[in-house]
This record gives sequence, structure tokens and C-alpha cells, in this order.
Amino acid sequence: MRWVEAILDELSEATSWSYRLGAPPATEPAATAALALAGHGRREAAERACRWLVSLQSDDGTLGISATEPAPHWPTGMAMLAWRAIGGTADYETPMTKGLAWMLATRGETLPRSDDIGHDTTAIGWPWVEGTHAWVEPTAFNLLALKAVGHAGHPRARWAAGLLVDRLLPSGGCNYGNTVILGQTLRAHVEPTGLALAALAGEADPTGRIMRSMDYLSQTLDRSTTAASLAYGLMGLAAHGRVPIAASEWLASAAERTRRRGASPHRLALLALAALGTACPLFHGTDG
Amino acid sequence: MNKPLTPPVPTPAQPCPETAGHDAQRPGLSLNRRALLVGGGLVAAGWLARPLARSLFRASAPVFIARHQRYDGDLEQTIRAGLLATGLDPAALPGRKVLLKPNLVEPTRQAPHMTTHPAMIVAAAEVFRRFGATVVVGEAPGHVRDTEMALAESGLGEALDSAQLDFADLNYEETGWVANGGRASKLAGFHFPRSIVEADLVVSMPKLKTHHWVGLTVSMKNLYGVLPGVKYGWPKNVLHHAGIPQTVFDINASLPKRLAIVDGIVAMEGDGPIMGSPKPLGLVVIGTNPTAVDATCARIMGLDPARVGYLQLAADRLGPIVDGAIIQRGERWQATASPFTLLNRPHLQELRLDSSGILTS
Repeated sequence: MRWVEAILDELSEATSWSYRLGAPPATEPAATAALALAGHGRREAAERACRWLVSLQSDDGTLGISATEPAPHWPTGMAMLAWRAIGGTADYETPMTKGLAWMLATRGETLPRSDDIGHDTTAIGWPWVEGTHAWVEPTAFNLLALKAVGHAGHPRARWAAGLLVDRLLPSGGCNYGNTVILGQTLRAHVEPTGLALAALAGEADPTGRIMRSMDYLSQTLDRSTTAASLAYGLMGLAAHGRVPIAASEWLASAAERTRRRGASPHRLALLALAALGTACPLFHGTDG
Repeated sequence: MNKPLTPPVPTPAQPCPETAGHDAQRPGLSLNRRALLVGGGLVAAGWLARPLARSLFRASAPVFIARHQRYDGDLEQTIRAGLLATGLDPAALPGRKVLLKPNLVEPTRQAPHMTTHPAMIVAAAEVFRRFGATVVVGEAPGHVRDTEMALAESGLGEALDSAQLDFADLNYEETGWVANGGRASKLAGFHFPRSIVEADLVVSMPKLKTHHWVGLTVSMKNLYGVLPGVKYGWPKNVLHHAGIPQTVFDINASLPKRLAIVDGIVAMEGDGPIMGSPKPLGLVVIGTNPTAVDATCARIMGLDPARVGYLQLAADRLGPIVDGAIIQRGERWQATASPFTLLNRPHLQELRLDSSGILTS
């Protein structure tokens, strides 16, 4: 796929990775680029991004959102996924050990159960910012990271999987992490649904919500889906072995639109990552 | 020297230790270099040197109401008239940076009445452009990480393309730290995106909506959406934990250069701000004092502003909420009042104006 190779060439030649072209480098885009490059076999370039991520890590194991903003720490799990995707080197063992220690010591604030809030507010996952409640996306990234470093059976991983299933809407899909508020069921969105499903690959679900969430994605994704949502939506389906026939065409179309609208390096990296289908290292870096 | 644009200017931006941003974040780190850069830029740009305000707070403030408005009508004329009627000085605008802040909290084509209509934003942009300002539209959608999706679902992306307007994705910009000018919450300050810090004027352009936790969301609550998700999360849970009324007040107290243009043409009632029902009103409400604008909107909705938490905090500190202190331009609010449906919850029902209050509050 020429459009993928073009993105990989750009990511390989880049000296930094950012949310938008010309912006300062940031942790999440660098981790995403490293995953895409590693997944496509561009190991040397992936290593550069991974080494930059190591340079951001604090002594306590955390990574902030950029070199100049050392907090909050939600990108830490994403960096661990990137380091694990490189594999085969001892260079990242210490950073991963430090990151894991922080991850296991960090949890979202729980709240007493309330009839006003539909989800289990006592469930344990990860917050965007320490001192706040656990939400879908940081919990999903950290669950993926735990699985990637061989801790799929750790109680924190089991609790995180339980939280994510609980945050899926009864009819399928999820949003940032609220299900029912004051008796009203909220709407699903593609991007968090895809990420949650990627993290929930291989999980048992007697409630059927995972299956209904896959159906939601299958029915929602199409050629017009915007880049980040499309990428995560397809990764969520691919993690469960379901790749739409038209996925490549949709991704190519999204890449073309992204280039016309500012060529965000982060969005392009996401599209290249999603193009790996069932071989995507976001959910295939697992040790067990 | 530039002329003053709008009323209050409380707190200057300043460089600060990372620790001061979120009390929940770790203490004792070194200075944020980006914050230093942005703070220095502010001084160089003259924001600190040439205050835009005429006074910190005025005991009275004008609010303009236009009714019978339509999205396919002459909104540019309405907005221009409203701005001029409420004290904006166009002679102060040439060369200034104006940021229009719509509400795109969680856009979906299923509920266009949730988000500020693109026609309002384009019309306001044209007014400020004709005044000689440089205009950018900026938003940090509160519930969705995919901002491109938010622009597509709201229809704003296409409208901005047609009008050749730039968009700033505030969720992912580098930030500068500004001390908390309100201090109602525990937060020592706020990490504002570069586009906000560098703007000479932030125009809050909310949709007029009920809010199932605090009663209503108008121009002051809309400014939650200037804070970047990368620092505050999706949702911006740091603010919720610090108290919604308190942080609404604090953000507004920390952003001095604000005015409000409210989309009440098709508003939202019931289970706002996301799941409510459309309420056609045909209203546009404008003012250079957002506190007075929100108090007026509360009355239009059948709510007592004195019972709304963040308006209680703002009263007589950021602006007037007492009816007699709000100078009415255009239509009188009494002529446009149309009580909004609220969820049948005690914390919301107690916000209602009583029958005599509608006439006297």
C-alpha cells in the first residue's frame, strides 16, 4: 500500500512526532509512531522514537504529555506498549519495570455507588489525571500495557477488564466512560469503543456487551469515518479477528483527507497502525 | 496604543511551577519551559502592559437580546448590532486576535441542538473580521478525543472551510499557566492552550442549554471547553473533582478578555447538556459581561440566577446578576421568557423562579 509506505517514510525521517504538523513533539504521537513503525518492520526508526520516550521518563517511572509538560502521566502505558513492540532488547527493561511499578501503584478515585450514575463507581481502573475517577481510554491503554508485559492475569488487569465491560453501553459501544446518568442512557462513540475492544480482546463476557460493541462498530464505520475514530474502530474489530472487507480503502481515503487537512503526524501514524489489521502491535505485543 | 475592548481584566498570565497547575499533580518539579515562553510572550505582546479593561468590575452591564432569529437569516447584522449596543468598541479591534469558542462538547448529527450552530460562528467571525481583527475558532471538545470527528458531526468543519477560517484544536495545544483569579476552588491555576493565552479577546459562543448538574450552561460554563484534554482529561474530571460551580467561576475569573454571543435560536431543554430536547426560541443574546448575559439567560429559561451556584459566586465579583443592574438592550427578557423543562430532580427544580420571581427577580 503506497499510502502506508509514504506515511512510514515520513515517520522514519521525522526527528520528532507531534499531534499536528509543526507543533512541539508529544508523548502520545511518538508512542503511536513507534508502534506503527515497529509493526511495519521499520525497527531503526521505531528505536529512535522509543529512545526519545525513554528520555522523557522520570525517576518514578512516569512520562508526561511532552518533554516540557511532565504531568499528567496517562501516556506512560502507551510508551510501555511502544517499548514492548520493539522487543528483543534489554534497553527497555528498566524503563518498563519503572513504568509498571507506577502503573500498579496508581488507580482512579472510586466513589460510593449512586442511583444517579449507571456504572460501577467502585471499580478500579486508571484516571487521566491522578486524583480523579477512572475512565475508559486510560484504563484501556494501561490494560493493553499490562497484557503486553505479561501481566494479563494480574488483579489490576482483571479489574480493568471488568471496568471496561461495565462501561460498555447495554446496546453496545461506549463513550469516554459514562453509561447512564440520572436515568438517561448516553451515546456511544467510535474511538473509545475501538480502544476498549482492543483492550478486551480475549476477555470472557457473559453480558454480550463486547459482541454488541463489535456490531456497533461494524455498523458505524464507513468511508467517511474520521481518521482517529476509523483507526481505533478498525483496531478494535481486528483485535477480535473482524476486519471489514473495505478497511484498506477506508484507511486510504482517511489518509488522503488527513493530508488535505493539515497532515497531522499523529493521525497518519494511527492510520498506518490500523493498516496492520490483525497483526497490529497495539494488542499483539502480549506476552501472555 | 490600542483602545480598550471590553470590561474586566483580573489576573495576568504568568510562568509557574508545574506543581501549581493541578493540585493533584506532583509537586516540586522544575519550571515549565513552555509556560515561561508563553508568559514572556504575553508581556511582549502588551497584554500585561496595556490592560484592555476600563475597570475590574462594573456595577451594571448591558445585555442585548434579539428575537425572531433564524440560522438562515442575517445573523451578521444581529451580532454586530448586539456588540455595538453592549459597549464593544470596534476601533479597538484592528490587529487584535479574537478567538471564537463554540460549544462542541460531544457533537452528533443525531442532536444538532446540542452544539453551537455553524451559521452563528461564521457570522460572528465575519463581524470581527470586518472590525479588522484576526479571527480563529478554537475548542477543546470535552467528551471526545477525535476533534476531527467533532468538527464533522457538528457541521462546523465544513463551514470553517467555506469561510476560510482557521481552527485551533485546544485539546492538544501546548499550554501556558495562569494563576487562578477566582480561588473558589482548590486549583492554584489553569493550563490554558497557547491560542487562549495569546488571544486578545475570547468570545464564548455557547448553545443555550439546561445542565443536569448545575441547572444551565451558557457562556461561563462553555469556557470549560478552553481547557485542554491532555491536561484535564476527557471528561475534564480535574474540574469536576474541584467543584463545577467553583471552577466555572475560577476559569472565568482567570480569563479576563471575554464576551458572550449565545445561540438560543434552537436551544436545549430537559436533560441537557447532551441528551436534552430541542427548544426553538429564535433568540440571540449578546453582552460584554458574560455574568450578566448568563443571568439574563437564566431568567429567560425560568431559573433564578441567584440560586445557580456559579452565578452566586460571580455576582458582584465578575458582573451583576441582579435584574436591576443589567441594562437591557434590544428585547426585554420578560418578553422572551419561556420556561425550560428541567429534569424532575430537587437540585434542579429548586433553581426555578417562582411566579412572582419571574416578574421581580
